[in-house]
Amino acid sequence: MIRASTKFISANDIERFVQEFHDRADSASKVVRICIGTGCAAKGSRRLYELFCEAAKRSDQDIRVEAKCVGCHGFCERGPIVVVEPGEVFYQQVEEPDVAEIFRETVLGGRVERIVLIGNGRFDPTQISDYIVEGGYSALAKVISSMTPEEVISEVEIAGLRGRGGGGFPTARKWRSCREAKGSLKYVICNGDEGDPGAFMDRSIMEGNPHSVIEGMLIGAYAIGSEQGYIYVRNEYPMAVEHLKTAISQARDMGLLGKNILGSSFSFDIRINRGGGAFVCGESTALMASLEGRTGEPRAKYVHTVESGLRGKPTNLNNVETWANIPQIIKRGGEWFAGIGTEKSKGTKVFSLVGNVVNTGLVEVPMGITLRRIIDEIGGGIRDGKRFKAVQTGGPSGGCIPAEHLDARVDFDELTKLGSMMGSGGMIVMDENTCMVKVAKYFTDFLHKESCGKCTPCREGLSQMLHILDRITKGEGEVDEMEKLERLAELLEGTALCALGKTAANPVLSTLRFFREEYEAHILDRHCPAKECRGLFRYQIDPEACKACGICLKNCTVNAITGEKKVPHVINQEKCTLCGACWEKCPFTAVKKV
Amino acid sequence: MPTVTIDGKRIKVKKDATILDAANKVGIWIPTLCHHRALSSDASCRICMVEVDRGEWRQLVTACNYPVRRDITVYVSSERAKQARRGVMELLLARAPESRELKELAERMDVMQTHYPTVTESQRNCILCGLCVRVCEEIIGQAAIGFVGRGVDRAVAAPFRQPSEDCIGCGVCAAICPVGTIKIRIHPDQQEVEISPFKSRAKLMVCRECGTPIVSSEVSKQVLSKIQINWEEFRESLQLCPKCKRLHTAGKLTSTIANKTGDREGVY
Repeated sequence: MIRASTKFISANDIERFVQEFHDRADSASKVVRICIGTGCAAKGSRRLYELFCEAAKRSDQDIRVEAKCVGCHGFCERGPIVVVEPGEVFYQQVEEPDVAEIFRETVLGGRVERIVLIGNGRFDPTQISDYIVEGGYSALAKVISSMTPEEVISEVEIAGLRGRGGGGFPTARKWRSCREAKGSLKYVICNGDEGDPGAFMDRSIMEGNPHSVIEGMLIGAYAIGSEQGYIYVRNEYPMAVEHLKTAISQARDMGLLGKNILGSSFSFDIRINRGGGAFVCGESTALMASLEGRTGEPRAKYVHTVESGLRGKPTNLNNVETWANIPQIIKRGGEWFAGIGTEKSKGTKVFSLVGNVVNTGLVEVPMGITLRRIIDEIGGGIRDGKRFKAVQTGGPSGGCIPAEHLDARVDFDELTKLGSMMGSGGMIVMDENTCMVKVAKYFTDFLHKESCGKCTPCREGLSQMLHILDRITKGEGEVDEMEKLERLAELLEGTALCALGKTAANPVLSTLRFFREEYEAHILDRHCPAKECRGLFRYQIDPEACKACGICLKNCTVNAITGEKKVPHVINQEKCTLCGACWEKCPFTAVKKV
Repeated sequence: MPTVTIDGKRIKVKKDATILDAANKVGIWIPTLCHHRALSSDASCRICMVEVDRGEWRQLVTACNYPVRRDITVYVSSERAKQARRGVMELLLARAPESRELKELAERMDVMQTHYPTVTESQRNCILCGLCVRVCEEIIGQAAIGFVGRGVDRAVAAPFRQPSEDCIGCGVCAAICPVGTIKIRIHPDQQEVEISPFKSRAKLMVCRECGTPIVSSEVSKQVLSKIQINWEEFRESLQLCPKCKRLHTAGKLTSTIANKTGDREGVY
């Protein structure tokens, strides 16, 4: 630490002081900032500071760690507050026993800083200067001034980046095939047609950091040899469209898009196309058909799009998140990127964590993190103290993973092994009160509604599956129908035209695999174990809990409830229409589902 | 030229020929519904599924549009391929249970009945193969019909489900329909042809002599504009019905013979 007693004797001394300070500060790669404002101090943050100092001293790692006392953040109610740099990882209500874990996981590594969402929440997405000042477009400059297209592809190959749109295809291999494809006119496309219910990873990137996508596309176009790019974004994302438009026009004005970029012979420009919101248009060939102005329907991919895609020309399509990873890979090197994640899945992945967890929202985590850590640590566990039942990953055509596989590592191959998939990164957590048959029906219904209807198995097969699931949830299912579902699922997987159809049976298959007993309960016992399917459970009044207040009695529209003052009420099951009004209105939760 | 081995039979085909082409050459039958060799492939009916050997695994592909680019081994009568085709057929039968043509094809594939109930509505057994849509666009060049709706609501119709103004009443859609959904109706009183179920109507050209409807006027006009024969008599003959054309020709013939005989008589 530079002593504050240094005496300035000339005007330049102040500058020198700052410079010296920065030189030293840089050498401390990690800083733990502990708030010692009045509120946090009262809650014992001084002691936390000492503990962090001790931990820093004990650590025999190369990383230099500095613990630092800082002023009030203003969140005194949530104190003591600790912030770890780099990454600005924010901890609230830190207690002494937490210090060891924070130090181990965050300070010494483990928890990786953001790569894709690095700019979100930091700069104004409508100001290109914010992006450039923070190191934006330096990757493009590096590529244009000192790298050959082949070197760019090799760097991405070293990084081991795989497509973030769902398939997980190695990005470098796709680029190389497109580069080597015959023809001088080539296209690059950014797929921003995010259609999974509850997913908004790509939207937040396009809205929050549009330049990272544009820079990624520029680098990709340079590597592939393309002069025209398209961003296909759904029209339901008006702000994403707006911000992308602004970003493109600013980039054009500054010579980062257009002819002879940065004085080189490389020219590239981007157009935005807005999609009408059909789920199937997220499929690459359907997207290209839509771009061409035709109906968004997939075609067979026996001839790959890198060979014959948009307008029959070699076309390289990547997802928003994939593109946004590229500038970071070029800037910091493929080796760095490959250092994060698992053997076959590198880097980070953004998930949209939703459902019955305490903290919902977007999370960017390193590949290979366990589902349990995402749900318990980041998600804060299940809401209202309920039990975890399943997590649905990969969007509507993903699968449901039960509690016994919570320690599975989240990467492309592990999730596929569990009958689910990475997909674009949707993650829906479900608690014990969720009926898995109903979940399967919900997703099948979604896919059935969004099927384009071109091929027989998807159009007719999903209709048949939905018909069976509907019967099961109504208590009309028959024993052989589970087998029928499996047969249909196999047919769909083998014969559907596009990936959406081929994976459309996943919700049914995975629930049949892990929650078969629930299907059996619906079919054999005509009972819904989660008590969600109307008609497959009854309402009953717990005489112990009933205070005989008469509210249920007044609210029953068919007079099925009888009871007098001070006598527990009873539901006449013959009359009951299972409307659930008594269950909703009972202030003592004496009405139970059985 | 790559070699295709289909169920043990070997055949050399041109690069980018389809598996179906190769199978036809060696006389192995693969059922098709949405395929027609005059049209682009759609691969939407999925009835022509076959297995392709990928080394460690076998992939189900559609024979009608899978391009042969290197030597490949194909299994048409493997159990998995048969099951796939039959599964698709059962789904189609559930959609269009009344179709005689579909039943005949099903029987040929050893599918005697479907295990599934009818849950999707089809317009007169339409199986949405799209042959009519493609022929109208690619061969006739009118694109008077197309697909409307999505998923289970998908149907073939003219724009806005109104009678089409572009339909020239050629009737090729009816001729190509594999399940007899599309029909041609003649309305002699109005001298119009109707393509049902699209309700599109076109004026008919009637025989100059007897008034029998021959062909839609627009078709005749387009044909005449395409043929490069300016022989007046030939052009006129196109305005006659086949019967009158024969009479006309016969009449001309007799008069020519008569004239010639007359000439000879003159010599005497």
